[in-house]
Amino acid sequence: MEQLTTEMILVMAMIGLAVFLFIVEWVRVDVVAILMMVALPLLHLVTPKEAFIGLSSNAVVSIIAVIIIGAGLDKTGIINKLVTPIVRIAGNSPSRIMIAISLTVASISSFMQNVGAAALFLPAIQRVSKALKIPISKLLMPVGFSAILGGTVTLVGSSPLILLNDLITPFNLKPFGLFDVTPIGLGLVTSGIGCFILFGRFILPKGSDPASEQTGEVDSSSLLEEIGDAYELKTPDDFTHYRDPVQIDDLRRRYLVNVVAVMEPPDFKIMSPSADMEVRSSMDLVVYGMERDVRRMAEQEGMLLKDGLQVFRNEVAESASGTVEAVVAPRSPLVEKTLRQIDLQDRFRVTPLAIHRHGESYRAEIGDLVLGVGDAILIHGTWKRLQALQAEKSLLFTTPVDVELMRPEKAAFAGFWLATALIMILVFKIQLSVCLMTGALGMIVTKVLSIDEAYQSVDWRTIFLLAGLIPLGIATEKTGTAAWIAHAVLNAIGTVSPIVLLAIIGVLSTVFTLVISNVGATVLLVPLVVNMALAANADPRMAALVVGLATSNSFILPTHQVNALYMGPGRYRSVDFMKAGAVVSVVFLAVMIGIIFLFYGV
Amino acid sequence: MAIITISRGSYSKGKEAAEKVAARLGYECISREVLLDASERFDIPEVRLIRAIHDAPSILDRFSHGKPAFMAYIRCALLRRAQKDNVVYHGLAGHLLLKGIPHVLKVRIIANLEDRVKSEMSREKISEEEARSLILRDDQERRKWTRSLYGLDPWDSALYDLVLHIHKLTMDDSVAFICEAAKLKQFQATPEARQKIDDLVTACEVKAALANETVDVSVTCEFGNVLIYTKSGERMQHKLQEMARKMAQEINGIHHIEVHSGVPAPAHAI
Repeated sequence: MEQLTTEMILVMAMIGLAVFLFIVEWVRVDVVAILMMVALPLLHLVTPKEAFIGLSSNAVVSIIAVIIIGAGLDKTGIINKLVTPIVRIAGNSPSRIMIAISLTVASISSFMQNVGAAALFLPAIQRVSKALKIPISKLLMPVGFSAILGGTVTLVGSSPLILLNDLITPFNLKPFGLFDVTPIGLGLVTSGIGCFILFGRFILPKGSDPASEQTGEVDSSSLLEEIGDAYELKTPDDFTHYRDPVQIDDLRRRYLVNVVAVMEPPDFKIMSPSADMEVRSSMDLVVYGMERDVRRMAEQEGMLLKDGLQVFRNEVAESASGTVEAVVAPRSPLVEKTLRQIDLQDRFRVTPLAIHRHGESYRAEIGDLVLGVGDAILIHGTWKRLQALQAEKSLLFTTPVDVELMRPEKAAFAGFWLATALIMILVFKIQLSVCLMTGALGMIVTKVLSIDEAYQSVDWRTIFLLAGLIPLGIATEKTGTAAWIAHAVLNAIGTVSPIVLLAIIGVLSTVFTLVISNVGATVLLVPLVVNMALAANADPRMAALVVGLATSNSFILPTHQVNALYMGPGRYRSVDFMKAGAVVSVVFLAVMIGIIFLFYGV
Repeated sequence: MAIITISRGSYSKGKEAAEKVAARLGYECISREVLLDASERFDIPEVRLIRAIHDAPSILDRFSHGKPAFMAYIRCALLRRAQKDNVVYHGLAGHLLLKGIPHVLKVRIIANLEDRVKSEMSREKISEEEARSLILRDDQERRKWTRSLYGLDPWDSALYDLVLHIHKLTMDDSVAFICEAAKLKQFQATPEARQKIDDLVTACEVKAALANETVDVSVTCEFGNVLIYTKSGERMQHKLQEMARKMAQEINGIHHIEVHSGVPAPAHAI
């Protein structure tokens, strides 16, 4: 075995540092990547040019283009249109609906970012769940898993696979074609959905009974029964005469009712009044709350509870305002903040009513709760203000409020440019990034989305995470560290047949992807396993492929962005993911290795 | 219609003052009764409760749930008494245990050290030296106790509404002052104040019920809406949520109950 050089030790230290920082999250993962980008050339482990080569790499440009294409598809509302016929075909059977939606999401996600596909379908799935009275928890997890699995169907489906060709280039290995992974991907999607069909009743959470979850005529949310309804009250003429001043916030804390509109005499109306506003005499209020809470407040504070909405009939009507369920998106700037810090009330003039998290709903002092990815917030406001909030993109609205912002008339253009990009890849065999960027440019030129919208849709955190980790891969390879570790690992496990080696690599990648990001795991592992395979006389391309695929095997913990996103709306707990995820993960590995063994001649 | 707490050092004639005030106003005079209530209700020997409320926490207490749990029991028992109104409490730390109730008249009675030494000598039949050191040690212990639990100095006069020095002022003068003060408007129970006591009782009941499980909880209650704050992780949170659901059935006065984890508790939480 080769001698361990100082450079190798330095590279290993940097890998260790990166993994450590990924796990402890003292700084965000993309910052870790940028740290690598800067530290590696400073330590003379890569040249300055190599340090930033990631930014111009095929993979990174492809991902930028895929994100823009996905945003274009989103803008045209193609997704919503897709769901209606699917549901019609599937009929009323819950399992057929689950299969139909899962397959659709898997096929969409094979061409765009998984979390993007999952987010696009969330509102549609919730509507289907409500309309057909299928518990949402029975649908979301299979669909979410399918979105992740769908990413393995083509080489542009998930970030690890997009990266793969760039990572194996230094070894002079033949790059993969767009559909080289498709047999495995299809097998994985089929087996994943199969798991839910066969074992669904055992591994999926029972879900609350559909009757209680699906009440309410208003097409806004399944949480509605937990926040009650709108009531109008009037304060007496002598309300302020014999008591300490009462503020809007006091009513919320004492009676758990949310004041969403007030009218001061004679007719001065305020929607979503601020928390410190004082409740005065002869004031009309509209509150959201459960009936018993509202009645208790009316009784204790001496207010008159009116029969139905009167003064505010028009303002609180469904055409003007409403309640939406908004989910905290992955990487949203709201994560780790409290509603009090964000101050939706003053910035957007909307009223947060309740938060739903891990199967628990919170109604009291929700301003204090620290928000996490997947938390569902119920927000009341006028549609106009809710749209302004939605435009900020920090929350994912599961109830559509932006009908007029969509450009359904551009759907044909969006479809055309997606097809063009695919044909360029398949028929003309032009480089991936060029094809995809052509599709993205086409959408911009045909005004499916504006160039500013395209820029905004690109998630720079993903870009820098990818680009920053590529030099780490280069350094691992160039200094011979990868080869050294590969030899060391091979010596430890002894002589094994190539297929066993691939299985070991699969398990290793699964463990890595659960702990650090799928991109990080891919970049670290690909150079290693290629060397391991070379040393063990196995096919290095297959070893790299196993890493690229198995880094999508992230089901046991809700660490994958798709799982984190669906956790709140599906009312899942970590345990639910462990139960279903364990089964799907094992099947994933077995199917992947099986197909490679049978069809790829290993 | 008031709640009076009389804080005192040992042999400062506080007990006598409390009894006289209670007699003149027709109030109930309580001290040890609170500990007996707590001992009976939560099935803890009285002597252990006395130790909890009297001695400063030792190093060992930091590792056990004992002391905070006992304090929750005592506070619960005292608040239940205060709920009935018209009480004079001259036990330990009344002004701290009844924190947050607006109409409590907080009195501190102090006496000359020399007078206290004399009383102790005659009662316990000991030498002047011994009596002085006993009294000083007792004062020191009280200081340490309040410091460690509440971060306050019991000798800080800003904690009280009235500080009376029984020396030139006689006992009767002092009693007259206290009774006069108790009649003031600000010490009468308003509906809001009553609501506050009811909420505090509920919060204390919840805290007492949780005290055996964990120390790392704070409880607030406003108009029957109970919030349990905890810093601990998801697993503890589930356990607390289960317990909260049960408590909502068992404890009176809970309108709504929630567990908020990872959220710093507000200063007024119990």
